Amino acid sequence: MVRRRTLFGQVLHYGLLIVVLAVMVGPLVWMLRVSLLDKTVSLTAQNLLSASITVANFTDLFAQSDLARYLFNSAFVASVVTLGNILFCVMVGYVLARRQTWPSRILFATVVIVMMIPVHIVIIPLYLICLKGGIYDTYWALILPFLINPVGIFLAKQYIESIPPSMEEAARVDGASELRILFRIVMPLCKPAIAVLAVLAFITNWNSFLFPFILTSSEDLRTLPVALALLQGHQAIDWQHLMAGSTVAVLPVLVLFFVMQRQVVSGITAGGIKQ
Amino acid sequence: MRNTTMTRYTKLLILTLSLCTIAAAAHSKTTIEWWQFWTDPAIAPTIDSLVREFEQQNPDIDVKVTNLTWANGHEKIVIGFASGSGPDVVELGSDWIAQFAANGHIADISEDVAEDSAAFQGWGMSTYEGRVYAAPWILGTRVLFINRDLLTQAGYDTSWLPVSLPQFYEAIARIDSLGRPDGIYGWGSNTAEKHRLYKKYMPFFWTYGAQLFTDDGEYCVISSTKAVDALKDYKWISDDYGYVANQRGIEDAFLDGRIGVILSGDWLLKRIEIEKRKINFATTLFPGPGYPGRSFMGGEFLAVNENTDHREEALKFIRFMTSPKNQIRFCKANRSSNPSSLEAQADPFFSEDINRLTFIKQIKLAKHPPVDPDWVYIEDEIERAVEDALFGQGLPATALHEAQIRITKIKEE
Amino acid sequence: MKSRSLTAALFASPWTVSFILFWTFPLLYSFWMGFTDYQLLSRHAPQFVGFDNYRALLGDRDFIASLKNTFIFVGGTIPVTTVVSLVLALLVNREFRGRGFFRSAYFLPWVTSMVVVALIFTNLFERGGYVAMLAQMVGFEPPVNGFLYDRGTALYAIMAMDIWMAVGYYMLIFLAGLKAIPDELYEAAEIAGASSWRQFTSITLPMLRPVALFILVINSIKSFQVFVEIFVMTKGKFDTSTVVYFIYETGLQTQFKFGYASAAAYVLFVIIGVFSILQFALMRRRQAAW
Repeated sequence: MVRRRTLFGQVLHYGLLIVVLAVMVGPLVWMLRVSLLDKTVSLTAQNLLSASITVANFTDLFAQSDLARYLFNSAFVASVVTLGNILFCVMVGYVLARRQTWPSRILFATVVIVMMIPVHIVIIPLYLICLKGGIYDTYWALILPFLINPVGIFLAKQYIESIPPSMEEAARVDGASELRILFRIVMPLCKPAIAVLAVLAFITNWNSFLFPFILTSSEDLRTLPVALALLQGHQAIDWQHLMAGSTVAVLPVLVLFFVMQRQVVSGITAGGIKQ
Repeated sequence: MRNTTMTRYTKLLILTLSLCTIAAAAHSKTTIEWWQFWTDPAIAPTIDSLVREFEQQNPDIDVKVTNLTWANGHEKIVIGFASGSGPDVVELGSDWIAQFAANGHIADISEDVAEDSAAFQGWGMSTYEGRVYAAPWILGTRVLFINRDLLTQAGYDTSWLPVSLPQFYEAIARIDSLGRPDGIYGWGSNTAEKHRLYKKYMPFFWTYGAQLFTDDGEYCVISSTKAVDALKDYKWISDDYGYVANQRGIEDAFLDGRIGVILSGDWLLKRIEIEKRKINFATTLFPGPGYPGRSFMGGEFLAVNENTDHREEALKFIRFMTSPKNQIRFCKANRSSNPSSLEAQADPFFSEDINRLTFIKQIKLAKHPPVDPDWVYIEDEIERAVEDALFGQGLPATALHEAQIRITKIKEE
Repeated sequence: MKSRSLTAALFASPWTVSFILFWTFPLLYSFWMGFTDYQLLSRHAPQFVGFDNYRALLGDRDFIASLKNTFIFVGGTIPVTTVVSLVLALLVNREFRGRGFFRSAYFLPWVTSMVVVALIFTNLFERGGYVAMLAQMVGFEPPVNGFLYDRGTALYAIMAMDIWMAVGYYMLIFLAGLKAIPDELYEAAEIAGASSWRQFTSITLPMLRPVALFILVINSIKSFQVFVEIFVMTKGKFDTSTVVYFIYETGLQTQFKFGYASAAAYVLFVIIGVFSILQFALMRRRQAAW
C-alpha cells in the first residue's frame, strides 16, 4: 500500500513520532543522566542539563556495595535458566511436534493451559515446596522451577512442526539414536527458534523480581532487581546511586535487545506471551 | 574396713571420672549460632571484634554469626524457628518479642537475668505475661530535631527551645510562615508508611495523657477525648505546616534546611556526622504539659532459642554483649545508639554530648507499646486510623472510634 | 516402537516433572491450605476450618479494597493500553525513514526491568517532580505531597506507568496483525473510492479484531497479577493494595497466614479463570460469525 503524502502530512507524522519518542524514552534517559550526576548535586532540571558527567556513582557502588555480586547472581541465574530452557523446551517441543499419540496431545494441552494460569497464585505453595525441599535460599530455588517454561515449549513445538521430518527419518534409518538425532539434527535446524526462546528466557529471568525476592533471603543470593528494590528503602541511598544501580541492571538487557531485535520481535508476535 | 576401702575406691573413681569429663569438655568446643542485624560498615568491624574477644575469653565456645537485613530478617527468623533450625541466640526488635514468646520459640530467662534487673532499662518490652524472654541491648527513641537557623529567622532567641506544646506549635507555625514559596515548612510529617506513621503519632497520644487500654488491660480506650485531641492536633500541624514525605524524604528536606522541626531517631545524628552535613540544629525532648512529654521507645533485644542445646553458653554470650563496657564500645562505634545499661548511659560519651544526652534523657521518659502477640494487628488498626484521619476522609474521632471497635474485637478472639 | 515411546516419554519428562511438581502440586496444595488455619509461626499442626477463610475474606476490608483496586487497575489500563498501542502501531506501520528505530525505541520500556521502571517513576511522581511540572503546564494542579502519596492519584499514577510500559509490546502484536491484512482489500477499497477513514473502519478494525481479543486475554491475565510496582512504589498504601500484594502481605510477611493467603489466591484464580473463559468464548463466537 503505497500512498503519496503531502509535506504537511509528513511533518505532522514525524512530529507525532518524536513526541511519542520523548515520552517513551525520556524516563530511561533521565535514569542514565541521574546515574552520571554528581551525588552532591540536586536533581533539578538545570543540573541535569548543565552539570558535568561523572562515573563516580558506578565506581562507588562497585567498591562499597555488593553490586558485583548481584550482577553475578543475575547473570549466573539467567544464563543457567536460559541454557535449561534451550535444552528442555526443544526436547519437549520435539516430542510434542513429532508424536501424534494421545499422551503427547494431553501433554500439549497442559502446556497451553499452564500458559494461561496466573503464576502469582502459586507463590505460597512454591515457597513452601522450596522451604520443605531444602532449596529455599539457595541458587537452586532461583533456577529449578524456571528451567522449563510453557511458552518456550510452545515456540519450539510450532517451529519444529514447520520443518519436514525427512532428515530425522533418514538419520533414523541410518541407525542414529534419538538423542543423537535431537542434538545433531533437530537442534541445529531449530537455531532460529532457539535464538528467540533464549532471548526471551534471558530477558524474563534477568528482570524477574517476585520469585527471587520470596524464594531467597540472603544478601549473597540477591539478583539485581531484588537488590535494587530493597536498596530503595535503605537509609543512606541517594537517587544518583540508585539510578547507577538501575543502569547496571538495564544495560545488559538493552544491549541484548538491540543485538537480537529481530528474534525478540518474532518471538513476541509468534508466542505472544511474556510474563 | 571394707566399707572405707569401698568409699575410697568410689571417691577415686568419681575423681577420675570427673577429671575425664573436664578434660573432654576442654577439648570439645561448643558452637553457638547468633543471628544479628548490624551490618553497615560503621559497626560491622566492632561486632566482629566483640565476638572474637568473647571467644578468646571463652576458649570452649565458638560463635557463628549470621547477618540479617531489615528487609527480610524477620522472615528469616520466623522460618528458622518454624523449621527448627533457628539460632541459639537471636537479636529481636522489641515489637517481635511477644509473638515469638507466645508461640514458645524463645526461652523464659526470668531467673537468669533477675540479678541484672536494676542495672538495665527496657525490661518492660521483653516481659510477656510476667516472664522475661529477652535481654535489652540497644534502645531507641525519637526526639525533636530543630533547625536553629530557621528558628532564629522566625524571631526566636538563639538559645530558645520549646518546652511546652503551645510553644512547640507556635514555633512550627512561625517557621512555616517564613514562606512556602522558598520551600520552607514548619513540620516534617510522615506519609503512610507501615510501622512508621503510627510511631509518630504515639508521642502525641501519650503526651496528651491518652491510653491504649484501661489500667487492668481489659478494655481498649483508644478513642478517648485525649486521644482524639492528640490526633486532631497532629492532623492540624500536618495539614497546615507539614512537609509530607517518607522518613527518608523528611530527613533529606530537613538536612537541606527546608523544614523547621522533625521528630526523628538517633540514626539521624549518625547520618549528620557521617555525611558531614553542615546544619545548625538542636535536639530537644518532646514537649508536653508537665515537660517533657512522652516519646516512643523501642529496642533491640537478645533472646535465647527455647530449643537450644547450649542455653548456658548462649546466656553467657548475651551477658558479654550487653555488659556496660561492651555496650559503650558498640554505641561509640555506631556513633549514636543508646545503651540499655544504666552504667553505660552515664558514660561521658553520652553525658558530655548535648545531642546524645537528649536521647538518653528522652529514653527515660518514653513509653513502649504493650507486649502482646496481637500487637501487629492492633498496630495496624492504629496506623489505619491515623492514615484515615490524615490522608483519607476520616475524622479523627470516628477513625479512632472505629479502631477501638476493631481492637476490641481482636482482643476478644 | 516400544523403545521410541520410552525415549519420547524420557524427552518429555522435564515438562512432566515440572508440570506435576511446580504446577499441579502447588495448585492442589494451596487449594487444601485454603481450607486450613495453616500459619507458619504457630506450633500446632494446620487444622481443617472449612470455608472459614473464604468467609473471613468477604468480611476483610483490606481484601475487598485490594479486589476493588485490582479491578480498577485492570478495567482502567486495558482499554487505554489497547487503544494507545493500536495508535502507535498505525503510526509506525507505514513506510518511512527510521521506522525500525522508532519501533525499537517505543518497545524499550517493555524490556526494562519493572523494578527499575518503578524506581524511576517513584522519582518522577514525587512532589515537584517532572510529572508534577508537566501537569502544571497543562493546567492541572498536582497533589501537594506527590502523586504516590495521595489517595486520589496514587493508583492512577501507577496505572499510567504500566500503560507506558506495556504499549510498545502490544504495538508489536498489532503490527503483526496489520501485516496479516491482505493488501488487495485496500486496493479494492481504493478503486471503489473509499476514504482513508472509511478504509480504516471497514477494513483495518474488523480485521484486527482477533488480535485485539488476543491482546485483551493476555493483558488481563497479566494485569490481574500486578504486584512489583505496588511493592516498590507504595507498599499498598494510599489505596493501591492489589490482590497479589494482599497475598504477599498476609502470607509472606509478619503473619505468615498461609491458609488465609491461599484462599485469597484461589479467589483470584477463579476470577481470572472466569474472565479468560468468557473472553475465549467471545473470541470463538466472533470468529464463527465471520
